[in-house]
Amino acid sequence: MQPPAIDFHTHPLLVREMIARHPELARAARETFYIGNNFQPLETFLLELDAAGLAEAVVVPIDATTSRGATIYTNEQIAELCSMSSRLIGFASVDPHQPDAPDRLEYAIAGLGLRGLKLSPPTQRFFADDESVYPLYERARKLGIPILFHAGMSWEPGCRLAYGQPLRFENVAADFPGLPMVLAHLAWPWVTEAVALALKYPNVHLDTSALYFDNPRDFLSYAMTHVVPLTVFERSLRRQIVFGSNYPRVEIKNMSRAVRSLGFSEECLALIMGGNAERLLQAGRDTCIPGAAEGAKTSHACAEETA
Amino acid sequence: MIVKLERIEVQSRKDMEMIDITPEVDRVVAQSRLENGMVMALTTHTSAAVLVTEGIECLERDVLAHLERLAPKEPPDGAYGYWHNRYLDYDGRLGFNAGDHLKSILGGVNCVFPVENGKMVRGSRQRIYFVEFDGPLARTVLIQVLGNGGAPDKLSDDD
Repeated sequence: MQPPAIDFHTHPLLVREMIARHPELARAARETFYIGNNFQPLETFLLELDAAGLAEAVVVPIDATTSRGATIYTNEQIAELCSMSSRLIGFASVDPHQPDAPDRLEYAIAGLGLRGLKLSPPTQRFFADDESVYPLYERARKLGIPILFHAGMSWEPGCRLAYGQPLRFENVAADFPGLPMVLAHLAWPWVTEAVALALKYPNVHLDTSALYFDNPRDFLSYAMTHVVPLTVFERSLRRQIVFGSNYPRVEIKNMSRAVRSLGFSEECLALIMGGNAERLLQAGRDTCIPGAAEGAKTSHACAEETA
Repeated sequence: MIVKLERIEVQSRKDMEMIDITPEVDRVVAQSRLENGMVMALTTHTSAAVLVTEGIECLERDVLAHLERLAPKEPPDGAYGYWHNRYLDYDGRLGFNAGDHLKSILGGVNCVFPVENGKMVRGSRQRIYFVEFDGPLARTVLIQVLGNGGAPDKLSDDD
């Protein structure tokens, strides 16, 4: 039986019910996240999942208190949204500039039941390898949760490209080998560098939520067959790729159709569309690193933890 | 003289779908107390249509399939591309649904029927459809009545 298919990367910014309860979310959608789509009932979000053949979606906030004076959903609001549908998996976000960020994260996971951490260096204006953020990574590692990092270019005005450069994540991957991390958007335009990181560091994963020109089918075909051959993803990274749409910047159905059209084997597609995400989301898991069970690319730190 | 506008919301459930809204148009006419005049239905969207055809499933499938052939979501590889496939800063996202906009133009966004003695006059096989080309989405259709008649019943809160 195949694992349930999961969208690992959505922003629930259009949900009308939440905007009715929290009117400030409308401003966050328009003025902080810069999305112009019409607000929709939650039912539309769930129907999007149906149309894409997916069971569940990760919904993420972004705490940009220091950089923008705003949050795009608070952790409490994400938990509230998740209480409306069992198909939604809530992630937390904390402001990495705030000294109590690790404690806030622990509350969001242990107190609110959220299951991962979302950080966006371009929006939150920090470099991922700034050691002042290391206590936050250490807490995430202890909690056994994955971090979903924005990587690559951000469309948001005011966001500098440098914050999304994949090499700024290398020290984190190397210094926290037991911390599963997902670099979003294939880190475009640095897809090759992101793939190099994933090949070298088994705790580095990539999500498919990349669309910067053309349409989802043509863009992903370019990035995942021409820039880097599909065989690299199929043979070497099949356990390190997760499906993500970046909804509502892209409809889930369109990104799902594009990923399914690339030519992956059924086994690989099942891992990308759900198996890998399911493993990442198992908080408190024994091991989180792909290949560890096969004895391949097992990280020293993770092997120590699981001994 | 009666001029009354009602907005209805139509929740599409699929990527492409034909939804029969004839009963809603009939309801608005009846509640308006319009005796003689006309009723118009118009969608406010540009990747959807309002059109009239026979109300049978096989024809619904043919309409959608033919419009998709004429204006495909993804043109055949190497055949041609859409200028619309680019970043739209006012939307915060790429617009890559030119095919759906083109289907909307081909299908049309409105229809008009006469109203006589308080009833919409249409052919026995004609049905009014809201047609979704880029769903699922909650969509808006405007229904306006215009003509002579008695005092209207209360319409929806939107009015």
